[in-house]
Amino acid sequence: MKGNLMCAVQGPVMLITLGFLLAADQMGVIAFSHTWPVLLIVFGLFKLAERGFTRNA
Amino acid sequence: MRRTSVVAPLLLIAIGALFLARNLYPNLPLLDYLARYWPFLLIVWGTLRLAEVLVWSATDQPLPRAGVSSGEWVLVVFLCIFGLSIHAVRGFNTWWPRNVTIGGLDMFGESYDFPLAGQKQTGKTPHVTIEAFRGNARITGADTDTVKVTGHRSIRSMDQHGADAANQSMAFEVTGDNNSVTIQNNQDRLSGNSVRVSADMEITVPKGASIEAHGRYGDFDISAVDGSVEVVSDNAGVRLQDIGGDARVDLNRSDIVRAVNVKGLVDVKGHGSDIDLQNIAGPVTVSGTYSGVIQFRNLQKPLRFTGQSTEINIEKLPGNVRMALGDFSAQNLVGPVHLSTHARDVEISDFTNALEVSVDRGDIELRPGTVPLARIDAQTRSGDITLSLPPQAKFDLTASTSRGDATNDFGSPIREDNQGRGAELRGMIPGGPVVSAHTDHGQMVVRKASPEDKPLAPKDSDAEIPAPDKPLKKVEQ
Repeated sequence: MKGNLMCAVQGPVMLITLGFLLAADQMGVIAFSHTWPVLLIVFGLFKLAERGFTRNA
Repeated sequence: MRRTSVVAPLLLIAIGALFLARNLYPNLPLLDYLARYWPFLLIVWGTLRLAEVLVWSATDQPLPRAGVSSGEWVLVVFLCIFGLSIHAVRGFNTWWPRNVTIGGLDMFGESYDFPLAGQKQTGKTPHVTIEAFRGNARITGADTDTVKVTGHRSIRSMDQHGADAANQSMAFEVTGDNNSVTIQNNQDRLSGNSVRVSADMEITVPKGASIEAHGRYGDFDISAVDGSVEVVSDNAGVRLQDIGGDARVDLNRSDIVRAVNVKGLVDVKGHGSDIDLQNIAGPVTVSGTYSGVIQFRNLQKPLRFTGQSTEINIEKLPGNVRMALGDFSAQNLVGPVHLSTHARDVEISDFTNALEVSVDRGDIELRPGTVPLARIDAQTRSGDITLSLPPQAKFDLTASTSRGDATNDFGSPIREDNQGRGAELRGMIPGGPVVSAHTDHGQMVVRKASPEDKPLAPKDSDAEIPAPDKPLKKVEQ
């Protein structure tokens, strides 16, 4: 059940992250070309968290 | 039971609201907003989805396998492409204030004032350049051969010490020679965000001077200058009066651009709200997006206006033109006149030579006023057309509606002819110009102009010339 929640939350959180990075880019705070690896990191963290949950289960 | 997401219906409502807003307020710069704020759509979308998933999980309902479906990701990609491209097209990168400080200074800082003064001996016709700064400037021409600046600088800082140090670091300079003078505030030298500065300057220049002013935020008031004037700013209200040369104004944002009594050409570009141009001897060009009231009065040379959805060409304008939300009204024009617009009710009286009006959505009311009649071509896709022709006019008239009634209040020789769902009025008094009017959907009325319904009084006669000593707006710190 928990792992399932993890899966379901993943998409929205990625979307929010993407939104923030693009907003920061548009405002001229920091360019998206500099911040895109954050998406990879967030994605990786999710995968890691998923593994942790399935192992515990 | 598998619940469907709440996001899709909300998206539908949002799109509907967007289109409704565009229909009701055609001048609202919706695209501008979209270009600026589209990434927030992604954030809102994601947040809604997240909230949904959490609620489902909390209430023990089955969770979807993926929070955001693949179809939605495709939509996201399209949205990103769309957003990035309109952002690139519109070229916004300056809307976010560069030196914004969040918290602290705004609430706890205090404003400290320092006097500004400087002068420079020069020739009779110097080129005066004001380098970019935050704040207001009032520039007045006088019988003198010195450029003289007085005023004050406000520095917002946490303490007197910080303000003093900032003031020291920005030397105020008036430099130059007989031909050119430069006024520098050197606000760029300010390092960091710990203080904020703006300047209010009263500048007296020789009458023959030409002015080149750059600003970041603040108003420019320029009067009694015989040379040309150029104002470029990120955000400014601009008021020009009694300018002997050309006036060029290029603004990223503005609340008003007003020019009164200009002998040369006037060229206004950019984004803003109100425009008011009166007594201009040279040609007038206005292009950009303007959301407020736009007025032109007494233009002696051609007017060319290119707005977001409206285009106007007028050969000469002894009378006036006024455009506000969804309205266009004009009196006393010299043609050929060309007007094409998306959604406005159009009302034009007293025009000569030729008139071409095309409207997507809106009523058209025309009162040529004088004989000989102007050649008229009026088209609307949806809206009523009313033509008030002078009783003694000569014309070759064809006025038709594809869907709606046609009414002939002019009498003979105009004849009415019903065809299916539409109707047509035709009539000819030899020796006159071609008058054609067509609406796809709406009523067509042709009537005799009577002395009572003319002239159409200008709707707004309170747009007086501003008093020259009107206080400038306070620059928000």
